[in-house]
Amino acid sequence: MGKEMKFSVMSLTLFFFLSIALSGCLGAREINDLEIVIGMGVDKEKDSEDILLTAQVVKVDAAGGGSGNSSDGGGSKAFWNVSSKGSSIFDAVREMTHKTGNRLFISHNQAVIFGNDLAAEGLQDYIDFFLRAHEMRPTALILIAEKKASDLMDAKSETEKYPAMNIAKFVENYGYTSHFYKVNMKDFASCLMSGTTAPLVPLLSIVEEKEGKDIYVSGMVAIKNGKMVGKLNHDEVRGVLWVLDKVESGVITVSSPNEQGKAVLEIIKAKSKVKPELKDGKIVMNIKIKEESSLSEQTTTENLANDKALKKLQENSAEVIRQEIMAAFDKSRDLKADFFRFGEMLHKKYHKEWKALKDKWDEIYPTIELKIEIDTKIIKTDLLNKPVSPSD
Amino acid sequence: MFGYILKKIRYLSLKNKYMLQNTQPGENNSEPISPVLEINLEAIKSILHESSDVTIHEFNFGHERKNRGALIFINSITDKEEIHKNILQPLMYDVLLLKNAVGMDFNDIDTIRKNLISMTDNKKVAMLNDLLDSLLAGAAILLINGSKEALAIKSVKIKSRSIEEPGTEAVVRGPREGFVENVNENIALIRRKIKDTDLCVEKYVIGEKSKTDVCIVYLKSVANPKVIEEIRIRLKRIKTEAILESGYIEQFIEDCPYSVFPTVSNSEKPDKVAAKILEGRVAILVDGTPFVLVVPMVFIESFQSVEDYYARPFFASVIRIIRFLSYIISTLGPAIYVALTVFHQELIPTQLLISIAEGREKVPFPAILEAFLMLFAFDLLREAGVRLPKPVGQTVGIVGALVLGEASVQAGLISPIMVIVVSATAIASFAVPAQTDSGTVLRYIYLVLAGIAGGFGVIMGLLATLLHLASLRSFGTPYLWPIVPLDTAGLKDVFIRMPLWTLSKRPKAITWDSYDSYNQSPDLMPSPYNKDNNDPK
Repeated sequence: MGKEMKFSVMSLTLFFFLSIALSGCLGAREINDLEIVIGMGVDKEKDSEDILLTAQVVKVDAAGGGSGNSSDGGGSKAFWNVSSKGSSIFDAVREMTHKTGNRLFISHNQAVIFGNDLAAEGLQDYIDFFLRAHEMRPTALILIAEKKASDLMDAKSETEKYPAMNIAKFVENYGYTSHFYKVNMKDFASCLMSGTTAPLVPLLSIVEEKEGKDIYVSGMVAIKNGKMVGKLNHDEVRGVLWVLDKVESGVITVSSPNEQGKAVLEIIKAKSKVKPELKDGKIVMNIKIKEESSLSEQTTTENLANDKALKKLQENSAEVIRQEIMAAFDKSRDLKADFFRFGEMLHKKYHKEWKALKDKWDEIYPTIELKIEIDTKIIKTDLLNKPVSPSD
Repeated sequence: MFGYILKKIRYLSLKNKYMLQNTQPGENNSEPISPVLEINLEAIKSILHESSDVTIHEFNFGHERKNRGALIFINSITDKEEIHKNILQPLMYDVLLLKNAVGMDFNDIDTIRKNLISMTDNKKVAMLNDLLDSLLAGAAILLINGSKEALAIKSVKIKSRSIEEPGTEAVVRGPREGFVENVNENIALIRRKIKDTDLCVEKYVIGEKSKTDVCIVYLKSVANPKVIEEIRIRLKRIKTEAILESGYIEQFIEDCPYSVFPTVSNSEKPDKVAAKILEGRVAILVDGTPFVLVVPMVFIESFQSVEDYYARPFFASVIRIIRFLSYIISTLGPAIYVALTVFHQELIPTQLLISIAEGREKVPFPAILEAFLMLFAFDLLREAGVRLPKPVGQTVGIVGALVLGEASVQAGLISPIMVIVVSATAIASFAVPAQTDSGTVLRYIYLVLAGIAGGFGVIMGLLATLLHLASLRSFGTPYLWPIVPLDTAGLKDVFIRMPLWTLSKRPKAITWDSYDSYNQSPDLMPSPYNKDNNDPK
């Protein structure tokens, strides 16, 4: 009994000791020891190969700060923009601990903003860390700044405490206008890997106001081979979104039937289908768009709530959509950047032929023809069924 | 590791058994009663060590006062008036009224019993230790000189508490009565619910010194005979000095003494016990406690309340789901909080993470220690509140709430979210009374696991618990029935309570009938009998 017991007592102690000692490094760390990063900006350092990383860290004690004094009055910010230089992103991330003391916790990173210089030179080299790091979420948004990313990081919104959260909020809600759309790390990476697709990334601009500065999305930039090649304005982006079936809602302004005023339509539902066709080496994309809208506003006294007027409006709105698509397509032809993902669609349908097409894609792309069929319908006129005007 | 502990315990229990066999008590008094009165009295006096509350009254009786007898009783537990009126008076005076008494042999105990004693609950005893047992159970012993037998006439007078609403199982709707300490009254309460010839009561006396009455009550036609036999065997095995509460019996007969989960249920409510007896379970009533044991027990029973069946099914189902949730919260609440905040911060929504971080900013302890402190404080408060007299108990509550809730947060010792987590846990732990004990133990185990290995540890703990639960049996019934093994008929009364008219089968894992055992007709769905006649006009 004695020997056996000694052994079991030993194994018992060992079990407890090891289970605590070995699992102690499973990754326990207290919340107090975290520097919660909610946004990151990457810029090119002037006159050097280094990059400048700016991380927006939550300042925990000021975040609550006694819920009474909202922090805009006292001037104490709820966040801290830490920046550091490094030859690589990871280098800069670790370099930052010289200032913060604690390691950065980037699981809650909402957005990664690349500076204009960096985007023009190429994102390819800097995207790896954000996909590889296990803490980083692939759903973090990717954005490009019109100038420097670090300038965007302290433009505080009046309702949101943290600039990065504010950016994430308005990018998530792109659906109200469909003037741009959100691109996260995962989408961006999969576009980069497809070879032919040129991803679009929202472009952030700053507008100076009386009290500080405001950030807004001024359009999207097209990235080709990891480099920024051109910018698209709001209407052009919506042209792309019509084809990609990503329009959620938005505003279409058309002239009224008697050309005296405007009718404003709200997009309620939009659906598109693209069928690629390859005939004798010629590529035709058949695009079918079905759109439903409501009459949300009119600036004429003409009564638009009748079949004749509505039909005219539907035709007009179809024309607007067509123009948007064509404008976007013209742009993509100029840039030779396939942000419509036509390459992927062809690849799916024409497996065998694709191999030959792929290598010459840049030459083939501008020769693609579009056949657009648009079916629009105005399904309601909201609360009024005739305009508010002195009736006759 | 557990193997070692189990081995050690088994060794100890074997050792006990061995020792018990060497000193088998209780055999020394089994001598027959002597025909000579004086010898008997001397023996009884010496055995009872001349206790002051034992009355030994010697008297002469019969027509010519030639017969000698003695009446022995313990005056603290017997009804003296009844003894005077119904034993002494007939023997000494009423006998004179008997016309044919002259020829009777008053040395014969049977003659006396049949002709003179006007009390029903009496029996003849021939052995000295039987005599003493009856005496200690509250009987008056009539010894007659020249008779080899004595008469034990039961005349117990024990003040019993009146029937009140039980403190542990208060209901909004349903009977307010609860069991009392007297086992006979408790059987009466059950008899009043089930007036059936099938209702059987078996009595056992357990405890060398306490000689406690233990009764098992069941419905002969419904209960599984194997379960009853098993209970008999397990009860007879008990050789102990005293049974002071039904908890003693529970711990001696349960299936898995090493489990934190109870495999014997208990209740203070006659309607609940009656319902379980009707399902085919067996109730074990112990004298001296209002808590009645019922076996077999399944895990799901803990989440069922009598009121579920008195209320209409919709509300009952919602409440039952809430009970399940509250059990999960009460066992896993602090563990999940610690696992999330220490290991898996990425799983917390960003805004919530920031507010948790704000709350913890000033806290000097690691989250696990914080959780332990709060849980300890809560259990301390609960224990103190229960033990103290009511007026003082309230003070404890107020002081505890102020000190722990307000002051410790303001002092920066505890984060406000931890206060919320622990108080939610505390409230939730009371929603499932039958599993409060197991929940409290598991809460600490899961918390330690969460502190060591985060979510991984908690999942491991849950897995071990699940395996353990699936392997548990209570008197042959799988503990997780009807979920494991799956019984679709039984599932009608698990997560939701189906309408009463659909619950027409008895639980199969309790009765073990090969055929479906019905407790009501299966077509009871209410509907107007004649729809044309239903017009109030």
